[in-house]
Amino acid sequence: MAREIYAYKSRVDGTLHYPMKMISRGNRDHDFFEFDPVPLPKTGKLLTFTTVYNLPAQYEVATLGLGIVELENGMRMLGQIEIDDPQIGMAVKGTVKVVRRETYDDYYGMVFTAA
Amino acid sequence: MRDVYVAGIGITTFTRLEYPLVEIASYASMMALKDAGITEVDQVYVANMGAARLNHQTALASAVTDSLSLLPAGAAAIENGPASGAAAIKAGFQAVASGMDDVVLVAGVERMREVNNLEATDFVATLTHPLAEYIYGVTLPALAAMFARLYMDKYGVTERHLAMVGVKNQNAALNNEWAHLQQAITLEGILDSPEAMTNNPYVADPLRFFDACPVSDGGAAIILVSKEKAQELGRPMIRLSGIGQATDTHAVFEREEPTDLLAVRKAAHDAYQMSGLSPEEIDVAELHDAFTILEIAQSEEVGFFPKGEGHIALEKGETALGGKIPINVGGGLKGRGHPVGATGVAQAWEIVTQLRGDGGKRQVEGARTGLTLNFGGFGNNVVCLTFVRED
Amino acid sequence: MSVDLEKILRPIDHDLAPYEPKYMMLASGEAVVVRQVFRDEIPDLLKHVEPLIHVERDFYDVVAARVYAELLGYYKHRFQDQYVLALQVDGELAAIVNGREVKPGLGLSLHTLALRRGLRIGAHGFAAKMEYHIDTLGHDEVLIVAESPIGFRRWMIEYKLEKRFDIPHELGGVPSWALTRELFDRARSKLVVGRRPVPPALLEKAMEKILPPSDPPTPPLDPLAATRALYDPTATALVQQRWEMEKGAGNA
Repeated sequence: MAREIYAYKSRVDGTLHYPMKMISRGNRDHDFFEFDPVPLPKTGKLLTFTTVYNLPAQYEVATLGLGIVELENGMRMLGQIEIDDPQIGMAVKGTVKVVRRETYDDYYGMVFTAA
Repeated sequence: MRDVYVAGIGITTFTRLEYPLVEIASYASMMALKDAGITEVDQVYVANMGAARLNHQTALASAVTDSLSLLPAGAAAIENGPASGAAAIKAGFQAVASGMDDVVLVAGVERMREVNNLEATDFVATLTHPLAEYIYGVTLPALAAMFARLYMDKYGVTERHLAMVGVKNQNAALNNEWAHLQQAITLEGILDSPEAMTNNPYVADPLRFFDACPVSDGGAAIILVSKEKAQELGRPMIRLSGIGQATDTHAVFEREEPTDLLAVRKAAHDAYQMSGLSPEEIDVAELHDAFTILEIAQSEEVGFFPKGEGHIALEKGETALGGKIPINVGGGLKGRGHPVGATGVAQAWEIVTQLRGDGGKRQVEGARTGLTLNFGGFGNNVVCLTFVRED
Repeated sequence: MSVDLEKILRPIDHDLAPYEPKYMMLASGEAVVVRQVFRDEIPDLLKHVEPLIHVERDFYDVVAARVYAELLGYYKHRFQDQYVLALQVDGELAAIVNGREVKPGLGLSLHTLALRRGLRIGAHGFAAKMEYHIDTLGHDEVLIVAESPIGFRRWMIEYKLEKRFDIPHELGGVPSWALTRELFDRARSKLVVGRRPVPPALLEKAMEKILPPSDPPTPPLDPLAATRALYDPTATALVQQRWEMEKGAGNA
């Protein structure tokens, strides 16, 4: 089964939320009980990016690529990037993979490559 | 609402301190109490972000109050990320302004170097969104770097502008004996020489080593009092005249215009409105330059310069000592250091020092009004304060 | 029959090619000269290493104590095939790095001791040392170990060192890491800098005399207070001295 990262859609007005909110951004009368999870799209364009050289202790790599991506539905997300020469505005596609490991726990997130 | 005045200030050296956290907070507080000439306080607020995690200490305010023998004063710790300091000052203001208390001690403290820098980086990163940011390995330098890249793309800010802020503030710290960094740097050494890339490597491109503040330990404290009490104590009459605080999205990517710092804009706007001041009337400012790009962006958002022109003002020397609006003359976070919980209080300490005319070599001539901007999260919780000398 | 015991005890140093001095500009805009220091100048280094043995933070105590022993061992012919490089700013000692040749083709890094901080002088010194091993001495590998977290971050992560955990390192017997020629070549452009030849006036100033460091890490008033406090939960020794130092800064 392909893993997904989920946004939350209000049944009342269709507003999408990522990350999840307990109360809708668009209308504070609507709450989490009226949201449905919907997978985030996996393609979009790179808005900004960086290569991090000083990582938290859990990472045993020298550098890590990170970027903010505007997805095809207009939502944005942060993800890791595996792109040799990233450029603002370039098309990217995402895959859900392990993005952090802590002793016995794996955390999954979106990893983007050039589309 | 009653007027609130700053009657006393104290600080420790910002550096690596080998002392227990409570002692660092208490030392700065003791100095502030001596400065004000008082031995009784009604309420103690201690600003701190990481005691439980970094120093294995909880209920910090009770410990500090006991250490200072201020019992049975009320006491509470305030954790609000890197904006803890100014948030605690706001709480102190509310206590005095409401008439509930006459004398409030506000201390800010952090001891980050008890852990190694890898753990400190991870600790600060815990303020990011746990599922949408933190799990990806995001750090504060990474968020600042992605912000800087957009800023450069949109407004023509260059790595040279960033380095200019770094040189200005780190060298300003040489005039501040309490500052962490006491080492001059030059543009040639960090940007232009063949060795610059090794001297000043990227920490998160386009931000480099000298674009970031150091990891520091330190404490600062101020005493807030009512007008009657301030007059009785006879210290220079410095009024905490304006406070604004605003929040923004937790995850940085959710912001509609990612180069805008709306919480900064709103906090500054509210502080100006409360104090009846305009940006043009501010004589000296302390901005939250945890990263050099932030001084440029914040100088625009607090209204000193139009959006996108902060770096041009920097080029003209308008933000240096002697310029139109001197910013971070005591070194800022970049030069003074950034013990996160202490920073907001240390900014107030610097402004009060300036308004008292005690700035020595870094004194802004004739300063009567000052502003501090304490920037929590990556701009998702911001507190702006204004101070006015009245006598 | 008399035996000259010294002949047995004294190691035979191999003829190691000398390190060609270089210089570079620091973040401060000052020039730092990296040059080799031979036996006759070791006492000039020792007097600046000794105070750092009492600096009980960032592993200065452990590193300085070991460097002191290594330099003394070299000076008194009790350490085989050691070399020492000094980094000087305007004659003033800014860092010491040392290492040794284990056998032809294999080097071993001993220590990097920075006496001036905040300018990445330690990083420059370490890179110069690796340059000496690989380029001058022709070593294929250099065995390395880190004693402090900052050292681990700098060397193991930045150079992406390989594990040689089957080889106990001479420093404390802990598992070794290795910088290979290939790794060094990959890191060379980013980490190894410096210009040659050193302008004569600059080199002359460095060679003339090893001047005391201008702002070295300072020992506490009570040496060993922190060390004793490790096993004293009330840390009494520390309480007594700590704010005495702070008072000196002139708080209003």
